[in-house]
Amino acid sequence: MKTYRLVPLIFLLLSSLGLVFSEMSPSFVINEVITRFIRDGVLVLALLVPIAAGMGINFAVTIGAMSAQVGLLVVIIMQYPGLAGFFIAGFISLLIAMVLGYILGRALNRVKGREMITTIIIGFLGNGIYQFIFLAGYGTFIKPLNQEILLSRGIGVRNMVDLISYRNIMDKIWMLEIGSIRIPLFMILLVLTFCLLITYLMNSRLGQQFKVVGQDINKAETLGFNVNRIRIQAMVISTVTACLGQLFYLQNMGMMNVYTAHQNSDIFSAAALLAGGATIKQANVRNVIIGVFLFHSLFIVSPQAGQNLFGNAALGEYFRSFVAYGTIAVALIFNLREAKRAVH
Amino acid sequence: MLKGRQNAAQIIILFFLGLMVLLAWHSGLSNTRLLNDSLVRLFMNGILVLSLLPMLKVGAGINYGLPVGIQAGLLGMCAAVNYRLTGISGLFAALLFACIGGVLFGYAYARILNLLKGKEEIAGIFIGFAFVFIMSFFWAVAPFSNAGMLWPIGGKGLRPTIGLDNYFSKVLNKLWVLNLGDIILPVGMGLFFALLCLLLYAFYKTKIGIASTAVGENENFARLSGIDVERIRILAIILSTVLAAVGICIYAQSYGFVELYDAPLMMAFPAASAILIGGSMGAGTSIIQVIIGTFLFQSVYVYTGPIANTLLLPEVSEIVRVIIVNGIILYALLYEGRREKA
Amino acid sequence: MESILKLRNVSKKYGDQEILKSINLEVEAGEIHGLLGENGAGKSTLLNILFGRAVIRETGGYSGEIYFQGKEINIKNSHDAIKMGIGMVHQEFALIPDMTVAENIKLGREDVYSLTERLLGSGLALIDKEKNHQSTQMILKQLGVDIDSRLKVLNLSVNFKQFVELAREISKENLDLLILDEPTAALGQDDVPCFLALMNELSSRGIAIIFVSHRLEEVMAVCHRITVLRDGEKVAALGRDDFDINHIAESMIGHAICQAQAQTRNISGAIILQYLNFSVDMPGEAIENINLDVYKGEMLGIVSLSGHGKLALGNGTVGLYPSSGQVLLDGKKINTAEAGQAINSGIYLLPEERREAGLLLKHSILENVIFSAVQQKKRFLKPSIFPPLSFIDKKMSLSYVKEIIQHLDIRCHSPRQEVGQLSGGNQQKVCLARALAMEPHVLFIAEPTRGIDIRAKEIILEKLLDINREIGTTMLIASSELGEIKRICNRIVVMYEGRIFAILPSDCDDIELALALSGERLESSC
Repeated sequence: MKTYRLVPLIFLLLSSLGLVFSEMSPSFVINEVITRFIRDGVLVLALLVPIAAGMGINFAVTIGAMSAQVGLLVVIIMQYPGLAGFFIAGFISLLIAMVLGYILGRALNRVKGREMITTIIIGFLGNGIYQFIFLAGYGTFIKPLNQEILLSRGIGVRNMVDLISYRNIMDKIWMLEIGSIRIPLFMILLVLTFCLLITYLMNSRLGQQFKVVGQDINKAETLGFNVNRIRIQAMVISTVTACLGQLFYLQNMGMMNVYTAHQNSDIFSAAALLAGGATIKQANVRNVIIGVFLFHSLFIVSPQAGQNLFGNAALGEYFRSFVAYGTIAVALIFNLREAKRAVH
Repeated sequence: MLKGRQNAAQIIILFFLGLMVLLAWHSGLSNTRLLNDSLVRLFMNGILVLSLLPMLKVGAGINYGLPVGIQAGLLGMCAAVNYRLTGISGLFAALLFACIGGVLFGYAYARILNLLKGKEEIAGIFIGFAFVFIMSFFWAVAPFSNAGMLWPIGGKGLRPTIGLDNYFSKVLNKLWVLNLGDIILPVGMGLFFALLCLLLYAFYKTKIGIASTAVGENENFARLSGIDVERIRILAIILSTVLAAVGICIYAQSYGFVELYDAPLMMAFPAASAILIGGSMGAGTSIIQVIIGTFLFQSVYVYTGPIANTLLLPEVSEIVRVIIVNGIILYALLYEGRREKA
Repeated sequence: MESILKLRNVSKKYGDQEILKSINLEVEAGEIHGLLGENGAGKSTLLNILFGRAVIRETGGYSGEIYFQGKEINIKNSHDAIKMGIGMVHQEFALIPDMTVAENIKLGREDVYSLTERLLGSGLALIDKEKNHQSTQMILKQLGVDIDSRLKVLNLSVNFKQFVELAREISKENLDLLILDEPTAALGQDDVPCFLALMNELSSRGIAIIFVSHRLEEVMAVCHRITVLRDGEKVAALGRDDFDINHIAESMIGHAICQAQAQTRNISGAIILQYLNFSVDMPGEAIENINLDVYKGEMLGIVSLSGHGKLALGNGTVGLYPSSGQVLLDGKKINTAEAGQAINSGIYLLPEERREAGLLLKHSILENVIFSAVQQKKRFLKPSIFPPLSFIDKKMSLSYVKEIIQHLDIRCHSPRQEVGQLSGGNQQKVCLARALAMEPHVLFIAEPTRGIDIRAKEIILEKLLDINREIGTTMLIASSELGEIKRICNRIVVMYEGRIFAILPSDCDDIELALALSGERLESSC
């Protein structure tokens, strides 16, 4: 029980130490963290509903992220620039995310009790299929309408695709500057709105249904709930939210790394959530906000701290990867162990 | 393939391979040479896949924490290289160090996994991942004395890839080679692999091996017969870890390089896929299934490379392998799990 | 008055076994209908059918017709049942421990802010937590129960949990039929009258109630009619005027088949096993403060209703479940913390779930029979430098197993046949063979003839007697087959609600036995 108050404190300690060792300016770090909060906040929110529904960490949020990228790529291939293009991309992405979320839900209903490992593998597989479609398909079974993004050999989309006509469409609205710290109010409010939406959802009747299914799936069925349908709804919401999150991320970046932009988004989102004090069985919006700040601060300062401490920036990177995976490993060990104790 | 346990994955793979063989023949590639390659790769990778067997049979699922054992093996090899041990004796020294490391790491790993009965697979993935990065830290700061292993500039920290040409590269491959026309049979390596298979087979006929099988098949039954289930699991997990350590040594000497840092990160998944293709069904998996599965799996690897090149899509072969590997594992999760429930 | 519920020829099979055979039942509005029966009588199955539990659908559904309020219905899942107006108070409460009382009671029907409901529909309406608490407090007040609705259910005593479970059902406005499954089992003495009074109040409101309980006194006090099930059939239907506790108890267990096997055995006074304040924490079957002396060479029967503890003694002694108190074997204390200890001392358990815990189904008869002996007694092994890695002595084990196959008459092709392919009776014999290979002093057997055809049952019982006679093994047999227990055992321990209620001689009166099972004693004058 006390472990999840401890974890945010540990992260706070590590980040502070990292900040000191990295000798980076606090305002720089804060700016970076704010940017990442906007970029990744919604993606982390996507993890909340499946956790409440007892499905553990949804490592297949990458599928939602990839839906966003597919939508954008379609619009780029068809060459629709500007705000209109962005909205069309959004529409396509969300549609794809809903369908894929539904399929995910159906699949996970077959593996009750092993959702986490299934979502990881689905994430890997989805990644492979996505990469195959755009690397081998563009120019072969997809007509290469947009020659700019085509690789020189005639098949495959380039690694980096410019999103210049969509870049920062929303970012710069209502920019607030306090000294050297820049706060894009509109975007922050947008992310906070999503936080509110998820909070609302969890306090609605549907949210209560998620919680019952998450607490005890057998009792939920006895109490008359359609557990399979509720779990599918959880996955659809999660995938759609992840899709939106990735759209925010990409419009902020302005460039899309077609094959890797979504990679590790599941791991880092999960680690951030856990860093904020969530567990595999329980997570709320407060964990999201705190977690994103703590985890990403650590993320930003680690390479430089590694350089200053050991003369090797790579060490800082290894450290932060270890922190990401290690946090998840520890969370699994603690939560699954407690589950065992409850049975006896 | 054996006992009539056909699953859809096997059928798809066989079909896929059949297709590849035809394509290869059509493009003028030599099927004999390709299959020969598969055989060599069977010996090279087989032990890593074999290492999954003890944990499967004791009921701890597929060992996605394979990187833990691999790290022990890498440590063993680095130690051997550091002391400039060469040739067959160098390889065996590496194996010895690897085994010691395997026992130590395996014990710690086993203690953790015993807390998580039923969820070993998901925990194993992340323990493996996290451990890769702990070891990355270690490789970067450890005080190895052999300059050939270190970064040329700066001289601190191991290189990501250490060439074994001066030490024990391919010593087992080259031991007792039989040349039959186009075919090259590395008898030494084959015998080593066969020896390990036989030892494992014999192990499962002993009192402890039988106990281990029982724990995997029916834990309550084992407990009722007075078996200390926790201790047997620890033994099995240590065995898996040691085999993994040995496996990576054989792999590395065949490949010619020791790959450190994040190279072992995803190594568990191809191994898992191989054993699933072989028809693995949880605790009932057999050694024959390991061999067949690895051979089929490596054949897929061997064929997709040159064919992709012929079709002018070299990077795609890697992606296709990812799809196959994860597709197989996903299929097993969705459909085998179903059967267990019924 | 038209009946609210009518069952016509309702039957249910699990595989080949008929669990319910053509049940006809009618319950009218406002009637409290008692449903009685032993373990395996079919009560739970009937309840599962009425409430649409998944297990019914997954095992082939049921046959026959069910009429609710005059219309024929087909209950596919619990959701259907609830929507129709059927409520159920479960024996193992369907309460979510981590949620508050209010959340549990209003689950699925929470009070919401009406504006959100109008705009977004029922599912996405925002829950009004205050209103929930207020309405819940009102419901609880009506029940006469004083609980703070903000408390989490896991913090409540079992008593209160029972009332919360009830409150959830009776607060449903469309409730027409309420099924109560052992609702007073968890209540303290003081709360039972209150609960029964509530039942009467509900009945006066027109709600039909099916009351399942093993407490005969309570059932007779509050019910209008009683139906008794036995072996899947309805064996008695009694109106208020016919209520007679002896008659009821007897119809529950039927006439014990007495193929006289009365063995007058000379049991020496030597005590081999002694229990002192022994308690076992076996979920669903716990026992408390057992004090019992077991005589060397005797065959002791242990009987109880399901969940009342007959399985716990054996399981606890062998260390499968945590226990407290003392167990003395030949005067020496046994450590019951681990399964290995008891086995080393010569105690062995044949579990009730033969397929789940008693056999390695994919292995051969040979491998199963010698298994425990190999692991614990190190028999059948070739000598070796390193004992844990010793191999099986194939010749020795094969000849031993062949002999025992003959001795126990195990029907099979060969000792190498896969145990999973054998019939239930033969599988049980393999279990027995494995126990014998261990040469135990004390043998616990749970449900020795469950799921076995009649012929095989006889053989097994005979073999048990043979073993007891020839080798002198002390046996403790937990079973729900009262006739068999009476036949082969010397004494019968009757357990009720986790304690020893009575120790009866095997030639006791059937009625006395039946009453004891329900926690009642024979009136001195009848």
